[in-house]
Amino acid sequence: MSISVHWHELVTVALLGTDRRDPPPAPDGAVADIVADSLGDTPAARMLTAIAATTVARRAGVRPGPPAPALAPPPADARPLVTPAAAARWRAIVRDWPVLEDEWLLTVARGGWRLPPDVLVGLLRRHRRDAVRWARAVAVGGPAATWLVEHRPELDRPGRRSAASSVDDPLDELPGLAVAPELVGVLEAGAAAASSALRAVLAAGVVPAQRNVLVNFVARCRPDVLGPLAATLRAAADDLGGPAAGLTHTLADLAVARAAMLTELAAQ
Amino acid sequence: MSTPRWSIEQVVALAPTPARYAGAEGLAVPGRWAGLGADDRALWGRCRGSGREPYEAMVDHVELGWRCSCPSRSQPCKHALALLVLWVRGQVPADATPLGVARWLDGRARRPATDPASAGDSAAAPTAEPPEPAGTAEPDPGPEAPPLDLDASRNERLARLLDGLVELDRWLEDRLRTGLSDPALGRYETWDALAARLIDARAGALANRVRRLAGVVGTRPDWHEVVLAELGILHLLAQAGRRVPDLASPLADAVATACGWQVRQSELLAGVPETDTWVVAGRSDTREDRIEVRRVWLRGRRGQWAMVLSFAAYRQALDASLPVGSELTADLHRYPGPSVRALVGSIGEHGPARSTPPPAVDVAGATDEIGRWLAAEPWADRVPVTVRAAATVADGRWVLTDATGSLALAPDAPGLATLVAAGAGSAVDVTVEWTIDGAVPLTVHLPDRDLDIGPVADDSFVSAA
Repeated sequence: MSISVHWHELVTVALLGTDRRDPPPAPDGAVADIVADSLGDTPAARMLTAIAATTVARRAGVRPGPPAPALAPPPADARPLVTPAAAARWRAIVRDWPVLEDEWLLTVARGGWRLPPDVLVGLLRRHRRDAVRWARAVAVGGPAATWLVEHRPELDRPGRRSAASSVDDPLDELPGLAVAPELVGVLEAGAAAASSALRAVLAAGVVPAQRNVLVNFVARCRPDVLGPLAATLRAAADDLGGPAAGLTHTLADLAVARAAMLTELAAQ
Repeated sequence: MSTPRWSIEQVVALAPTPARYAGAEGLAVPGRWAGLGADDRALWGRCRGSGREPYEAMVDHVELGWRCSCPSRSQPCKHALALLVLWVRGQVPADATPLGVARWLDGRARRPATDPASAGDSAAAPTAEPPEPAGTAEPDPGPEAPPLDLDASRNERLARLLDGLVELDRWLEDRLRTGLSDPALGRYETWDALAARLIDARAGALANRVRRLAGVVGTRPDWHEVVLAELGILHLLAQAGRRVPDLASPLADAVATACGWQVRQSELLAGVPETDTWVVAGRSDTREDRIEVRRVWLRGRRGQWAMVLSFAAYRQALDASLPVGSELTADLHRYPGPSVRALVGSIGEHGPARSTPPPAVDVAGATDEIGRWLAAEPWADRVPVTVRAAATVADGRWVLTDATGSLALAPDAPGLATLVAAGAGSAVDVTVEWTIDGAVPLTVHLPDRDLDIGPVADDSFVSAA
């Protein structure tokens, strides 16, 4: 009798209890010797010894199963992999600056980068209930994304296959964001005008509800103004003081993060 | 020199019931307290309760004891526990000892050491020192602590442990007699009462195993097999623990540690360190009761494994000082046995941000490593190994495979999708943790990066590290 068969006999008796069923005899060998040497004087005690010895034998005797055929790989994708720094940036953005995530992914697409496996899985899982962003992740993920969703259906979008609507062009323009009315006119302006306008808004005093529209401005202003904008904001924070100073530093942090993101994903 | 702070697990272990600890957590908010203070010996504060006057609580954290003006008959009360929780979190400021606290401490010092009340103001106080879970290093008494009769203390602890192991074995026999279909197994109290008894016996590690088992009953189709196997391991430890005085030293130490025998951090750190360059090969977070546990697996250049454990209670941050893929040259101090678990001593230097990945074996080599490990430590419930193999599906189950065989992967492992994506049908180097449910992938080692894909703590429970 094999250890495996003996184990199943032990499970059966254990379900019923030794008050109702005698323990099974151990197969000849080490387990039987250990049970014979045990000091237990009741059926339950002897069976406990058999259970312990059999469990140890099964675990320590772990053997590999038969080799299994490998999965057919996805079609080759020659695009270079997003760098570790850029992948780390995506994780930081998701945690701290989700307003930048759309731009990160579209910049990856435009730069001709390939998504690393952890980022691809993270994007698919994170946007399962967002048709546009999920489709964008699949489009940027390329053949690996489609292949992965086939093998790991939990990454698929619920109801995608039966849904009548589909996303026409997931890599279309960056979605617009609501920006403070005073700043709409300087979204495309140069560093001096953008910095000056933002500083004026902050100096006039901001209420908490304005935070998002100011964040959106920094997330959508011209990339080349980010460096000067961050410097201006840092300097202004000391002058502003009070609650506005905290928000000013936050906006400066965002400008620095966005500038770094775009640098990391600059075309190869 | 200040007395080391306790760990949160010590406070949890001190609580007479999980409900009492949960109640204490609710009170462990500085805003509910006034006059909080701590010194090398004691903690004190006034907690607003349901009464008109605040409750005066004080805890002796060196010669364990407590006192509280609340009417609770259960000891320690939730106010004393909450005070300890606040202290562990660093929310009790250092202050000069108030006169009332000094008098109480003085009164405790005058009592005979054998007086049960010396552990607190209540004869019901269950312990004379902080109980702890498995192998946890206990804090060292402060320099002001009165000299202890170490032999007498050790013998007393050993006697309690042996009593607890006898009781554990008797309980296991009862389970076998009445069978796993006994409805009592579905009730948490059945397990919790035993766990509480084991904590009293200073067998915190066994208490943890028992509590984990309570959460398995009825939760999966094969729970009978899982529970039965674990009952077998508990019996093995109960038997081996009772023979500790007769076992050879390394095995005796390993068994004692597995049962929950405590060692002082200073004893560990005073031992000969194992100095090497260590690669952080993997990380895995698991929730155990109300504590988040982080295991960080280190692999030395000479091939040996070590594990660094850290803990976080609700809203606490887990230790993030050992990021996966990094390397460091450091002294490790292993727990007795020598155990895989270790404390990090002095750190010479951090290596490059990205280390050379640990060497990988094939699937047959991996099962050999796992088997050898489990033959030496049958009670181990996690075994690390780095294997080069491809993820694929065999008989409806995900496995790691190569020409030498296949190794089952844990079906619910959160990193499985990333492992599949990383390999894309080809072999990759992956560090896994063997468990009874299959291998849990922790790290994929790619040529230019290491992907940390081990189970991650729920961020609504722990704060960002």
